[in-house]
Amino acid sequence: MLLLEFQSFLLEGLLNTLFLSSVMIAGGTFFAVAFAAGLSAQTWWLRRPVYALVECLRDIPLMVTVLMVYFVLPHAGLSFNPFWSSALSVSVWGGANGAHIIRAGLMSVPSGQREAALSSGLRGWKGLFLVIVPQAMPVILPPYVSLVTSLTQASSLGAVLGVNELLRSAQILIEQTTIARGGSPAYLVYGAILVVYFALCWSISALGAKLERHFAKPYQRTNGKTGLAKPVVALQISTT
Amino acid sequence: MDFAYILEALPDLMTGLKMTLIVSFLAIFLSCLIGLLGAVLRTSGIKPLQYAVTAYVEFIRGTPYLVQIFFIFYGLPSLGLRFSIFWSGVIALTAWASAFQIENFRAGLAAVGRGMHDASASLGLKRWQHSVFIVLPLATRAALPSAMNTIVATVKNSAYLQAIGLVELTFVAVDRIAYDFRAIEMFASICVIYLICVFTISGLGYMVERRLSRPFGGR
Repeated sequence: MLLLEFQSFLLEGLLNTLFLSSVMIAGGTFFAVAFAAGLSAQTWWLRRPVYALVECLRDIPLMVTVLMVYFVLPHAGLSFNPFWSSALSVSVWGGANGAHIIRAGLMSVPSGQREAALSSGLRGWKGLFLVIVPQAMPVILPPYVSLVTSLTQASSLGAVLGVNELLRSAQILIEQTTIARGGSPAYLVYGAILVVYFALCWSISALGAKLERHFAKPYQRTNGKTGLAKPVVALQISTT
Repeated sequence: MDFAYILEALPDLMTGLKMTLIVSFLAIFLSCLIGLLGAVLRTSGIKPLQYAVTAYVEFIRGTPYLVQIFFIFYGLPSLGLRFSIFWSGVIALTAWASAFQIENFRAGLAAVGRGMHDASASLGLKRWQHSVFIVLPLATRAALPSAMNTIVATVKNSAYLQAIGLVELTFVAVDRIAYDFRAIEMFASICVIYLICVFTISGLGYMVERRLSRPFGGR
Protein backbone atom coordinates (compact mmCIF):
# COMPACT_ATOMS: atom_id res chain seq x y z
CA MET A 1 0.00 0.00 0.00
CA LEU A 2 1.18 3.45 -0.95
CA LEU A 3 0.86 5.00 2.49
CA LEU A 4 2.86 2.24 4.21
CA GLU A 5 5.48 2.30 1.46
CA PHE A 6 6.20 5.98 2.08
CA GLN A 7 5.41 6.04 5.78
CA SER A 8 8.80 7.40 6.83
CA PHE A 9 8.42 10.29 4.37
CA LEU A 10 4.94 11.09 5.65
CA LEU A 11 6.09 10.67 9.24
CA GLU A 12 8.76 13.29 8.67
CA GLY A 13 6.06 15.63 7.40
CA LEU A 14 3.97 14.91 10.48
CA LEU A 15 6.93 15.69 12.77
CA ASN A 16 7.46 18.98 10.94
CA THR A 17 3.75 19.75 11.32
CA LEU A 18 3.98 19.04 15.04
CA PHE A 19 7.03 21.30 15.37
CA LEU A 20 5.47 24.07 13.27
CA SER A 21 2.21 23.97 15.20
CA SER A 22 4.08 24.02 18.53
CA VAL A 23 5.94 27.13 17.38
CA MET A 24 2.63 28.68 16.27
CA ILE A 25 0.91 27.84 19.56
CA ALA A 26 3.82 29.25 21.60
CA GLY A 27 4.09 32.35 19.41
CA GLY A 28 0.31 32.80 19.37
CA THR A 29 0.21 32.67 23.16
CA PHE A 30 3.06 35.18 23.39
CA PHE A 31 1.31 37.63 21.04
CA ALA A 32 -2.05 37.01 22.75
CA VAL A 33 -0.62 38.02 26.12
CA ALA A 34 1.18 41.01 24.59
CA PHE A 35 -1.92 42.22 22.72
CA ALA A 36 -4.14 41.64 25.75
CA ALA A 37 -1.76 43.75 27.82
CA GLY A 38 -1.81 46.41 25.10
CA LEU A 39 -5.62 46.34 24.91
CA SER A 40 -5.95 46.95 28.64
CA ALA A 41 -3.21 49.60 28.79
CA GLN A 42 -4.07 52.83 30.55
CA THR A 43 -2.48 55.13 27.98
CA TRP A 44 -4.58 55.73 24.87
CA TRP A 45 -1.61 56.04 22.49
CA LEU A 46 -0.73 52.44 23.31
CA ARG A 47 -4.26 51.06 23.54
CA ARG A 48 -5.72 52.42 20.30
CA PRO A 49 -3.00 51.30 17.87
CA VAL A 50 -3.03 47.80 19.43
CA TYR A 51 -6.82 47.72 19.13
CA ALA A 52 -6.66 48.75 15.46
CA LEU A 53 -3.96 46.17 14.73
CA VAL A 54 -5.91 43.39 16.46
CA GLU A 55 -9.12 44.27 14.60
CA CYS A 56 -7.34 44.34 11.24
CA LEU A 57 -5.71 40.97 11.88
CA ARG A 58 -9.08 39.49 12.82
CA ASP A 59 -10.85 40.89 9.76
CA ILE A 60 -8.25 40.18 7.07
CA PRO A 61 -8.30 36.57 5.78
CA LEU A 62 -5.57 34.43 7.32
CA MET A 63 -4.45 33.37 3.85
CA VAL A 64 -3.82 37.03 2.97
CA THR A 65 -1.89 37.61 6.21
CA VAL A 66 0.32 34.60 5.54
CA LEU A 67 1.09 35.70 1.97
CA MET A 68 1.51 39.33 3.04
CA VAL A 69 4.13 38.53 5.69
CA TYR A 70 5.96 36.39 3.18
CA PHE A 71 5.94 38.94 0.35
CA VAL A 72 5.98 42.32 2.11
CA LEU A 73 8.43 41.89 4.99
CA PRO A 74 11.44 41.40 2.66
CA HIS A 75 10.72 44.95 1.39
CA ALA A 76 11.31 46.14 4.95
CA GLY A 77 14.59 44.25 5.06
CA LEU A 78 13.22 41.32 7.09
CA SER A 79 13.67 38.10 5.16
CA PHE A 80 12.42 34.90 6.74
CA ASN A 81 12.46 31.43 5.29
CA PRO A 82 8.99 29.93 4.60
CA PHE A 83 8.95 28.10 7.95
CA TRP A 84 9.48 31.16 10.14
CA SER A 85 7.43 33.37 7.86
CA SER A 86 4.36 31.15 8.17
CA ALA A 87 5.06 30.67 11.90
CA LEU A 88 5.19 34.45 12.42
CA SER A 89 2.04 35.25 10.43
CA VAL A 90 -0.11 32.53 12.00
CA SER A 91 1.22 33.43 15.47
CA VAL A 92 0.25 37.06 15.03
CA TRP A 93 -3.19 36.02 13.79
CA GLY A 94 -3.60 33.64 16.73
CA GLY A 95 -2.43 36.39 19.06
CA ALA A 96 -5.10 38.78 17.78
CA ASN A 97 -7.82 36.19 18.39
CA GLY A 98 -6.33 35.03 21.68
CA ALA A 99 -6.04 38.59 23.02
CA HIS A 100 -9.82 38.97 23.09
CA ILE A 101 -10.22 35.57 24.77
CA ILE A 102 -7.73 36.46 27.50
CA ARG A 103 -9.15 39.95 28.00
CA ALA A 104 -12.72 38.64 28.24
CA GLY A 105 -11.53 36.05 30.76
CA LEU A 106 -9.79 38.61 32.94
CA MET A 107 -12.78 40.96 32.76
CA SER A 108 -15.09 38.15 33.89
CA VAL A 109 -13.47 38.13 37.32
CA PRO A 110 -15.45 40.51 39.55
CA SER A 111 -13.55 43.66 40.50
CA GLY A 112 -14.11 42.82 44.16
CA GLN A 113 -11.55 40.05 43.76
CA ARG A 114 -8.91 42.55 42.63
CA GLU A 115 -9.74 44.82 45.54
CA ALA A 116 -9.63 41.87 47.95
CA ALA A 117 -6.21 40.89 46.58
CA LEU A 118 -4.99 44.47 47.05
CA SER A 119 -6.29 44.58 50.60
CA SER A 120 -4.43 41.36 51.39
CA GLY A 121 -1.24 43.01 50.19
CA LEU A 122 -1.06 41.17 46.86
CA ARG A 123 -0.09 43.94 44.48
CA GLY A 124 0.67 43.92 40.76
CA TRP A 125 1.91 40.60 39.36
CA LYS A 126 1.30 38.71 42.58
CA GLY A 127 -2.35 39.64 42.70
CA LEU A 128 -2.78 38.95 39.01
CA PHE A 129 -1.27 35.46 39.06
CA LEU A 130 -2.41 34.28 42.49
CA VAL A 131 -5.93 35.68 42.51
CA ILE A 132 -7.21 36.86 39.13
CA VAL A 133 -5.73 34.39 36.63
CA PRO A 134 -6.79 31.16 38.40
CA GLN A 135 -10.36 32.43 38.49
CA ALA A 136 -10.26 33.57 34.87
CA MET A 137 -9.00 30.18 33.67
CA PRO A 138 -12.40 28.41 33.46
CA VAL A 139 -13.59 31.25 31.18
CA ILE A 140 -10.40 31.44 29.12
CA LEU A 141 -9.71 27.76 28.56
CA PRO A 142 -12.64 26.48 26.42
CA PRO A 143 -12.26 29.09 23.65
CA TYR A 144 -8.48 28.97 24.01
CA VAL A 145 -8.38 25.22 23.41
CA SER A 146 -10.40 25.68 20.24
CA LEU A 147 -7.99 28.45 19.20
CA VAL A 148 -5.11 25.98 19.73
CA THR A 149 -6.81 23.46 17.43
CA SER A 150 -7.32 26.26 14.87
CA LEU A 151 -3.61 27.08 15.07
CA THR A 152 -2.74 23.41 14.55
CA GLN A 153 -4.99 23.36 11.50
CA ALA A 154 -3.49 26.63 10.28
CA SER A 155 -0.04 25.00 10.22
CA SER A 156 -1.22 23.44 6.94
CA LEU A 157 -0.95 26.95 5.46
CA GLY A 158 2.81 26.44 5.55
CA ALA A 159 2.32 24.23 2.48
CA VAL A 160 1.26 27.30 0.48
CA LEU A 161 4.69 28.84 1.09
CA GLY A 162 6.45 25.51 0.61
CA VAL A 163 7.27 24.43 4.17
CA ASN A 164 7.86 20.67 4.29
CA GLU A 165 5.00 19.81 6.62
CA LEU A 166 2.35 17.10 6.39
CA LEU A 167 0.24 18.67 3.64
CA ARG A 168 3.30 19.53 1.55
CA SER A 169 4.60 15.96 1.96
CA ALA A 170 1.25 14.69 0.73
CA GLN A 171 1.42 16.99 -2.29
CA ILE A 172 4.94 15.81 -3.15
CA LEU A 173 3.96 12.16 -2.69
CA ILE A 174 0.94 12.60 -4.97
CA GLU A 175 2.94 14.42 -7.65
CA GLN A 176 5.72 11.84 -7.66
CA THR A 177 3.48 8.77 -7.75
CA THR A 178 1.30 10.34 -10.44
CA ILE A 179 4.38 10.88 -12.61
CA ALA A 180 6.04 7.55 -11.80
CA ARG A 181 3.07 5.19 -11.78
CA GLY A 182 0.23 7.01 -13.47
CA GLY A 183 -3.18 7.50 -11.86
CA SER A 184 -3.52 10.01 -9.06
CA PRO A 185 -3.72 8.60 -5.51
CA ALA A 186 -4.94 12.02 -4.31
CA TYR A 187 -8.13 10.87 -2.62
CA LEU A 188 -6.26 8.20 -0.65
CA VAL A 189 -3.39 10.44 0.50
CA TYR A 190 -5.50 13.53 1.25
CA GLY A 191 -8.11 11.33 2.93
CA ALA A 192 -5.45 9.79 5.17
CA ILE A 193 -4.08 13.24 5.99
CA LEU A 194 -7.54 14.49 6.92
CA VAL A 195 -7.82 11.59 9.37
CA VAL A 196 -4.37 12.34 10.85
CA TYR A 197 -5.26 16.02 11.37
CA PHE A 198 -8.58 15.01 12.88
CA ALA A 199 -6.87 12.68 15.35
CA LEU A 200 -4.41 15.45 16.23
CA CYS A 201 -7.12 18.04 16.87
CA TRP A 202 -9.22 15.50 18.75
CA SER A 203 -6.36 14.71 21.14
CA ILE A 204 -5.76 18.43 21.71
CA SER A 205 -9.43 18.87 22.62
CA ALA A 206 -9.24 15.87 24.96
CA LEU A 207 -6.16 17.32 26.68
CA GLY A 208 -7.89 20.67 26.92
CA ALA A 209 -10.94 19.09 28.53
CA LYS A 210 -8.64 17.52 31.14
CA LEU A 211 -7.06 20.91 31.86
CA GLU A 212 -10.52 22.48 32.13
CA ARG A 213 -11.53 19.89 34.74
CA HIS A 214 -8.36 20.73 36.70
CA PHE A 215 -9.21 24.42 36.87
CA ALA A 216 -12.89 23.82 37.53
CA LYS A 217 -12.04 22.06 40.79
CA PRO A 218 -12.53 24.21 43.88
CA TYR A 219 -9.43 25.54 45.62
CA GLN A 220 -7.63 23.64 48.29
CA ARG A 221 -5.41 25.39 50.74
CA THR A 222 -1.71 24.62 50.28
CA ASN A 223 0.31 24.02 53.39
CA GLY A 224 3.01 26.65 53.82
CA LYS A 225 6.31 26.42 52.00
CA THR A 226 6.13 22.78 50.89
CA GLY A 227 3.75 23.70 48.11
CA LEU A 228 2.04 20.34 48.36
CA ALA A 229 -1.71 20.53 48.20
CA LYS A 230 -3.07 19.26 51.49
CA PRO A 231 -6.79 19.45 52.10
CA VAL A 232 -7.83 21.44 55.11
CA VAL A 233 -8.80 19.34 58.10
CA ALA A 234 -12.40 20.49 58.07
CA LEU A 235 -12.70 19.44 54.47
CA GLN A 236 -11.37 15.96 55.25
CA ILE A 237 -13.87 15.48 58.00
CA SER A 238 -16.76 16.53 55.86
CA THR A 239 -15.83 14.11 53.09
CA THR A 240 -15.20 11.03 55.25
CA MET B 1 3.34 53.46 -2.14
CA ASP B 2 2.59 54.05 -5.81
CA PHE B 3 -1.06 55.06 -6.17
CA ALA B 4 -0.87 55.29 -9.96
CA TYR B 5 0.03 51.59 -10.01
CA ILE B 6 -2.93 50.70 -7.77
CA LEU B 7 -5.22 52.67 -10.07
CA GLU B 8 -3.85 50.77 -13.03
CA ALA B 9 -4.37 47.42 -11.30
CA LEU B 10 -7.86 48.30 -10.08
CA PRO B 11 -9.84 46.78 -13.00
CA ASP B 12 -8.06 43.43 -12.46
CA LEU B 13 -8.72 43.59 -8.72
CA MET B 14 -12.39 44.33 -9.38
CA THR B 15 -12.82 41.22 -11.54
CA GLY B 16 -11.16 39.29 -8.71
CA LEU B 17 -13.50 40.89 -6.18
CA LYS B 18 -16.48 39.94 -8.34
CA MET B 19 -15.41 36.29 -8.27
CA THR B 20 -14.81 36.44 -4.50
CA LEU B 21 -18.30 37.85 -3.96
CA ILE B 22 -20.02 35.37 -6.33
CA VAL B 23 -18.37 32.35 -4.70
CA SER B 24 -19.01 33.70 -1.21
CA PHE B 25 -22.67 34.50 -1.82
CA LEU B 26 -23.35 31.09 -3.38
CA ALA B 27 -21.63 29.41 -0.43
CA ILE B 28 -23.43 31.62 2.12
CA PHE B 29 -26.82 30.88 0.58
CA LEU B 30 -26.24 27.12 0.31
CA SER B 31 -24.62 26.82 3.74
CA CYS B 32 -27.52 28.61 5.43
CA LEU B 33 -29.98 26.22 3.77
CA ILE B 34 -27.89 23.17 4.68
CA GLY B 35 -27.28 24.58 8.15
CA LEU B 36 -30.99 24.93 8.82
CA LEU B 37 -31.72 21.48 7.42
CA GLY B 38 -28.84 19.91 9.37
CA ALA B 39 -29.93 21.61 12.58
CA VAL B 40 -33.48 20.30 12.13
CA LEU B 41 -32.13 16.80 11.43
CA ARG B 42 -29.87 17.00 14.44
CA THR B 43 -32.76 17.79 16.74
CA SER B 44 -35.18 15.47 14.94
CA GLY B 45 -34.76 12.60 17.37
CA ILE B 46 -33.91 10.11 14.60
CA LYS B 47 -30.71 8.63 16.01
CA PRO B 48 -28.79 7.53 12.85
CA LEU B 49 -29.42 10.91 11.20
CA GLN B 50 -28.35 12.75 14.34
CA TYR B 51 -25.11 10.78 14.52
CA ALA B 52 -24.41 11.35 10.83
CA VAL B 53 -24.87 15.13 11.13
CA THR B 54 -22.81 15.30 14.32
CA ALA B 55 -20.00 13.27 12.72
CA TYR B 56 -20.03 15.59 9.70
CA VAL B 57 -19.83 18.72 11.87
CA GLU B 58 -17.05 17.31 14.07
CA PHE B 59 -15.02 16.11 11.10
CA ILE B 60 -15.18 19.41 9.21
CA ARG B 61 -14.35 21.39 12.34
CA GLY B 62 -11.50 19.06 13.26
CA THR B 63 -9.64 19.13 9.96
CA PRO B 64 -7.77 21.93 8.17
CA TYR B 65 -9.86 23.76 5.61
CA LEU B 66 -6.99 23.81 3.11
CA VAL B 67 -6.75 20.00 3.12
CA GLN B 68 -10.52 19.78 2.60
CA ILE B 69 -10.20 22.01 -0.47
CA PHE B 70 -7.40 19.85 -1.88
CA PHE B 71 -9.36 16.69 -1.14
CA ILE B 72 -12.37 18.00 -3.01
CA PHE B 73 -10.44 19.43 -5.96
CA TYR B 74 -7.72 16.77 -6.43
CA GLY B 75 -9.15 13.77 -4.59
CA LEU B 76 -12.72 13.53 -5.78
CA PRO B 77 -11.94 13.26 -9.54
CA SER B 78 -10.28 9.87 -9.00
CA LEU B 79 -13.52 8.75 -7.37
CA GLY B 80 -15.39 9.80 -10.51
CA LEU B 81 -16.60 13.21 -9.31
CA ARG B 82 -15.03 15.89 -11.47
CA PHE B 83 -15.88 19.53 -10.84
CA SER B 84 -14.48 22.72 -12.35
CA ILE B 85 -12.31 24.98 -10.21
CA PHE B 86 -15.29 27.26 -9.62
CA TRP B 87 -17.66 24.53 -8.46
CA SER B 88 -14.95 22.80 -6.42
CA GLY B 89 -14.45 26.11 -4.67
CA VAL B 90 -18.17 26.57 -4.05
CA ILE B 91 -18.49 23.00 -2.74
CA ALA B 92 -15.46 23.31 -0.46
CA LEU B 93 -16.57 26.66 0.94
CA THR B 94 -20.15 25.43 1.38
CA ALA B 95 -19.01 22.21 3.07
CA TRP B 96 -16.90 24.18 5.51
CA ALA B 97 -19.47 26.89 6.25
CA SER B 98 -22.34 24.37 6.57
CA ALA B 99 -20.70 22.64 9.51
CA PHE B 100 -20.56 25.93 11.40
CA GLN B 101 -24.07 27.02 10.34
CA ILE B 102 -25.51 23.68 11.56
CA GLU B 103 -24.01 24.40 14.97
CA ASN B 104 -25.31 28.00 14.95
CA PHE B 105 -28.85 27.04 13.99
CA ARG B 106 -28.85 24.11 16.40
CA ALA B 107 -28.02 26.51 19.22
CA GLY B 108 -30.79 28.78 17.92
CA LEU B 109 -33.33 25.96 17.94
CA ALA B 110 -32.22 24.96 21.42
CA ALA B 111 -32.82 28.53 22.60
CA VAL B 112 -36.56 28.21 21.84
CA GLY B 113 -37.92 26.86 25.08
CA ARG B 114 -40.21 23.93 25.62
CA GLY B 115 -42.84 26.33 26.92
CA MET B 116 -43.41 27.64 23.38
CA HIS B 117 -44.43 24.17 22.31
CA ASP B 118 -47.00 23.92 25.08
CA ALA B 119 -48.22 27.46 24.39
CA SER B 120 -48.84 26.84 20.70
CA ALA B 121 -50.45 23.48 21.46
CA SER B 122 -52.82 25.22 23.84
CA LEU B 123 -53.62 27.80 21.15
CA GLY B 124 -54.52 24.97 18.78
CA LEU B 125 -51.68 25.54 16.30
CA LYS B 126 -50.84 22.56 14.15
CA ARG B 127 -47.34 21.14 14.22
CA TRP B 128 -46.20 22.77 10.99
CA GLN B 129 -47.74 26.08 12.01
CA HIS B 130 -45.84 25.88 15.28
CA SER B 131 -42.56 25.16 13.45
CA VAL B 132 -42.95 27.83 10.77
CA PHE B 133 -44.57 30.70 12.67
CA ILE B 134 -43.23 30.22 16.19
CA VAL B 135 -39.98 28.27 16.23
CA LEU B 136 -38.41 29.54 13.00
CA PRO B 137 -38.58 33.29 13.75
CA LEU B 138 -37.43 32.83 17.34
CA ALA B 139 -34.61 30.47 16.40
CA THR B 140 -33.44 32.82 13.62
CA ARG B 141 -33.28 35.67 16.09
CA ALA B 142 -31.25 33.62 18.56
CA ALA B 143 -28.92 32.21 15.90
CA LEU B 144 -28.32 35.46 14.02
CA PRO B 145 -25.23 36.85 15.79
CA SER B 146 -23.21 33.64 15.46
CA ALA B 147 -24.58 32.99 11.96
CA MET B 148 -23.36 36.47 10.95
CA ASN B 149 -19.91 35.60 12.28
CA THR B 150 -19.86 32.49 10.10
CA ILE B 151 -21.05 34.48 7.08
CA VAL B 152 -18.19 36.96 7.52
CA ALA B 153 -15.78 34.05 7.97
CA THR B 154 -17.12 32.52 4.74
CA VAL B 155 -16.19 35.65 2.78
CA LYS B 156 -12.74 35.69 4.39
CA ASN B 157 -12.19 31.99 3.78
CA SER B 158 -12.89 32.38 0.07
CA ALA B 159 -9.27 33.61 -0.04
CA TYR B 160 -8.08 30.03 0.56
CA LEU B 161 -9.48 29.09 -2.84
CA GLN B 162 -6.57 30.82 -4.52
CA ALA B 163 -4.60 27.67 -3.62
CA ILE B 164 -6.50 25.67 -6.26
CA GLY B 165 -6.24 28.51 -8.77
CA LEU B 166 -9.65 30.16 -8.53
CA VAL B 167 -9.17 33.67 -9.94
CA GLU B 168 -10.46 35.64 -6.98
CA LEU B 169 -9.14 38.72 -5.20
CA THR B 170 -6.10 37.17 -3.49
CA PHE B 171 -5.17 35.17 -6.58
CA VAL B 172 -5.22 38.32 -8.73
CA ALA B 173 -2.99 40.15 -6.25
CA VAL B 174 -0.45 37.33 -5.94
CA ASP B 175 -0.50 36.85 -9.70
CA ARG B 176 0.31 40.51 -10.31
CA ILE B 177 3.07 40.43 -7.67
CA ALA B 178 4.69 37.60 -9.61
CA TYR B 179 4.96 39.95 -12.62
CA ASP B 180 5.51 43.40 -11.17
CA PHE B 181 6.93 42.79 -7.66
CA ARG B 182 4.67 45.50 -6.23
CA ALA B 183 3.85 43.51 -3.08
CA ILE B 184 3.18 46.48 -0.79
CA GLU B 185 0.72 48.18 -3.17
CA MET B 186 -1.16 44.97 -3.95
CA PHE B 187 -1.49 43.75 -0.37
CA ALA B 188 -2.48 47.19 0.88
CA SER B 189 -5.27 47.35 -1.70
CA ILE B 190 -6.66 43.85 -1.12
CA CYS B 191 -6.51 44.36 2.66
CA VAL B 192 -8.58 47.54 2.27
CA ILE B 193 -11.04 45.75 -0.05
CA TYR B 194 -11.43 42.82 2.34
CA LEU B 195 -11.90 45.19 5.29
CA ILE B 196 -14.60 47.09 3.39
CA CYS B 197 -16.39 43.81 2.57
CA VAL B 198 -16.21 42.56 6.16
CA PHE B 199 -17.38 45.86 7.64
CA THR B 200 -20.24 46.13 5.15
CA ILE B 201 -21.49 42.62 5.88
CA SER B 202 -21.18 42.89 9.65
CA GLY B 203 -22.85 46.32 9.48
CA LEU B 204 -25.76 44.84 7.52
CA GLY B 205 -25.95 41.97 10.00
CA TYR B 206 -26.04 44.42 12.88
CA MET B 207 -28.93 46.29 11.24
CA VAL B 208 -30.92 43.09 10.68
CA GLU B 209 -30.19 42.04 14.24
CA ARG B 210 -31.50 45.32 15.65
CA ARG B 211 -34.62 45.08 13.51
CA LEU B 212 -35.31 41.53 14.61
CA SER B 213 -34.56 42.16 18.25
CA ARG B 214 -37.57 44.49 18.47
CA PRO B 215 -40.33 42.52 20.11
CA PHE B 216 -43.04 41.27 17.76
CA GLY B 217 -46.03 43.52 18.10
CA GLY B 218 -49.47 43.78 16.56
CA ARG B 219 -49.43 45.88 13.42
